[in-house]
Amino acid sequence: MVKNQRKLNKYKIQQMIVQFLPLVALVVLFLVFCAVVQTKGYRLDMYLKIVFNEGIVLAVVATGAIFIYSLGSFDISLGAATLFSATMGVLNYNAFENVPLMIVVIGVSGIGCSLLSSILASIFHIPVFVATVAMMSVLSAVSAQIITSRGGALGGISIPSNVLKSLDVPAFKIVTLAVFFLLCLYVFNFTKIGRREKFIGGNPVCAKLTGINYNKHAIIGFCIAGLSVGLGAFLTLVYTPSVTATTASSLGMNILVAIVFGGMPISGGADSKIFSAIIGGFSYILLDNALELIFDSSSGYGITQIISAVFFLLVVYAASMNYRTKTLPR
Amino acid sequence: MSKEFMIEAKKMHKSFGSTVALDNVNVKVSGGEIRGLIGENGSGKSTVTSIIAGMQRANEGEMFFKGKPWNPGSMIESLENGVGMIVQESGTVPGISVAENIFLGETAQFRRGGIVSRKRLIKAAQEVLNSIGASYIKAETLTADIDMQSRKLVEIAKVMRKNPEVLIVDETTTALSQDGREIIYKIMNQMKAENKAVIFISHDLEEIMNVCDALTVLRDGKIIVTFDKDEFDEDVIKTSMIGRELQGEYYRSDLDDSYDNEVVLEIVKGELDDQLREFDFQLHKGEILGVGGLSYCGMHTLGKVLFGAERLNAGEVLAHGKPLKNEKEAMNHGIGYVSKDRDYESLSLNASIKDNISIGGLECFATGKFLLLSGKENRYVDEQIKKLSIKCQDRNQYVMTLSGGNKQKVVFGKWIGRDSEILILDCPTRGVDIGVKQAMYQLMYQMKKEGKSIVIISEEMTELLGMADRILIMKDGKKAAEFMRSDKPQEADIIKYMI
Repeated sequence: MVKNQRKLNKYKIQQMIVQFLPLVALVVLFLVFCAVVQTKGYRLDMYLKIVFNEGIVLAVVATGAIFIYSLGSFDISLGAATLFSATMGVLNYNAFENVPLMIVVIGVSGIGCSLLSSILASIFHIPVFVATVAMMSVLSAVSAQIITSRGGALGGISIPSNVLKSLDVPAFKIVTLAVFFLLCLYVFNFTKIGRREKFIGGNPVCAKLTGINYNKHAIIGFCIAGLSVGLGAFLTLVYTPSVTATTASSLGMNILVAIVFGGMPISGGADSKIFSAIIGGFSYILLDNALELIFDSSSGYGITQIISAVFFLLVVYAASMNYRTKTLPR
Repeated sequence: MSKEFMIEAKKMHKSFGSTVALDNVNVKVSGGEIRGLIGENGSGKSTVTSIIAGMQRANEGEMFFKGKPWNPGSMIESLENGVGMIVQESGTVPGISVAENIFLGETAQFRRGGIVSRKRLIKAAQEVLNSIGASYIKAETLTADIDMQSRKLVEIAKVMRKNPEVLIVDETTTALSQDGREIIYKIMNQMKAENKAVIFISHDLEEIMNVCDALTVLRDGKIIVTFDKDEFDEDVIKTSMIGRELQGEYYRSDLDDSYDNEVVLEIVKGELDDQLREFDFQLHKGEILGVGGLSYCGMHTLGKVLFGAERLNAGEVLAHGKPLKNEKEAMNHGIGYVSKDRDYESLSLNASIKDNISIGGLECFATGKFLLLSGKENRYVDEQIKKLSIKCQDRNQYVMTLSGGNKQKVVFGKWIGRDSEILILDCPTRGVDIGVKQAMYQLMYQMKKEGKSIVIISEEMTELLGMADRILIMKDGKKAAEFMRSDKPQEADIIKYMI
């Protein structure tokens, strides 16, 4: 009896550790990052600002992307969609000089891109991976074409720097992230939509036989992700009012890595956690920036990528170990 | 019978997290013996055999195969060395051919000039299928395109190809019709004649008593007793399994087949490929309607059609007189569906008990139209856990860690929680022990008395005879016969209409 109780306690502690591991990792990465900046003799406040600005965009888009990932799908085109939305926003502002209209255009562009991906995937039954890879290529190409043809020698297009300058303050960005996150948290954890999305990710066949419509929920999930793309594009313009062909180019892949860092299972399902977006988003940016500072030579980029990849594999392995301990054949 | 022990396990202990699955288990199986393992769901039967077959390792204890230490690192290693296992759940890969499944990981032997000769592979696989008596399965067919029974036979072929000296059959027969069962019995008897050993797990007491030479009873991860064939006594075995005498009725004892005249679910001239032909069907309020037949008679498709999960080519399904087109509409009409393929179609295994039960009844505990609060949800789930006596640590336990019977109770909880008026149960007691079976039968009867309607689709005639008000026998997608409970039909009367 005592032995069993001890095992139960050990098991519960193990589960708790797994639960809080991403948060602990975030704190550790933050401390490591601060130590690296201090050791290198750089200004910590400046680097924290960079991490904050990059992290906010990643966290916002990843928060929306959770709705796709929880379905057991993933969208590699989110970065390209962010670039496309920002490009549309710049074009629109330069044509009409109207900020609210620009915001609407950015939002509609983001949702439109995601909606198209979801329609290709759910209505036309094209595998999500194929649909989003195609979307990534198309959106990147269209954006690059617009940017290079209109940007001329500058290599990019931009809005006047003073237009959104007043919004480039931490308070605005934090409030934006908080409001969007709370909205998503509500939908994801406290409504039927979120529950059903997670259940689809766990077993789509069973979900169908429980009366859950996959197409409907895929479209809703992609639309929320599209909204986050629009918001991410807007925050990108707030931070840097110009758009180049490489803006947000790695965002799609970074989201995948970030949400896994944040403790979300790569296969989606019931264990999907919306907090993974924020925790993983900032963890990834801290890791990326810390590595860039450590390996600041010309070969540093490659080393940074390799170390990030190793971290990613370790996290996935740890998550799968936890999965294996749950298996009890009867 | 030879007294050489083929397999011997000593003082085996295994735990999963806080759950002790095996506690000081000792098993000895001789050559020329068919040993049955029996016990309630979660008693440790599959755990002990999965350790013997190399699927996992014990925490403590030792094993011997033909007197030599035995500690296989994987099922492949185990099979290569003479111990094969046919698992309870699906063990085939759906996206490849039957032939590729049979020679999975070993197709290199069919290579010519670096390319696998498909012709030779298929020929060899077909020979294996023929050798076990499953020649009707074509080796070139995509595994996803064959039914559950055939997939099981492919697994059997895969194992038997290696000519094992010890064969473990883990609740395989529950997925098989009588024909399929005969194939496996033949293989087992042949192995016995060749002085090899078979360990056979089944919840069908009658089957296990017929087939086995000795029977070991497990309960709560412990060996309770081993009976030799001449000691077999159904009541004593049942009592050993559950640790108490079964209280109350097993099946219904009454002959009252009355029900309301109101038709709650109906099919009018239903046509669906070769599964349903000019099929008319009516379910009444307060009726338990049994549907029986051979595996391919269309009865499993009928269950899906009644729930709106399969669309008819012609004809219509009416629920309370209104056309029913999909699962959502079925649920709106108070219909619930328990699939035969529990793990694949009725549960999300990587989710908790809470997630699986509450998903069917979100609207039952939602505040307003949208808001889901965990307090209300927890009460809702706990009520089902209590009502159905689901054995678990708590509501957050993963369904994959539950035994078969408790998994099935979770599926029931999903539909009963939302107070379904009509339940379509496709082989609801497949792979569950007698204690759980009895609880399910009592629940069905209780529901009937409350005016609810049940369609029970089953390959077990005794179950239909024991529970149904009316039994409908299907053959080749058509209604072959109908029996009323009050007419006291016998199994033999029914079987002649099935074949």
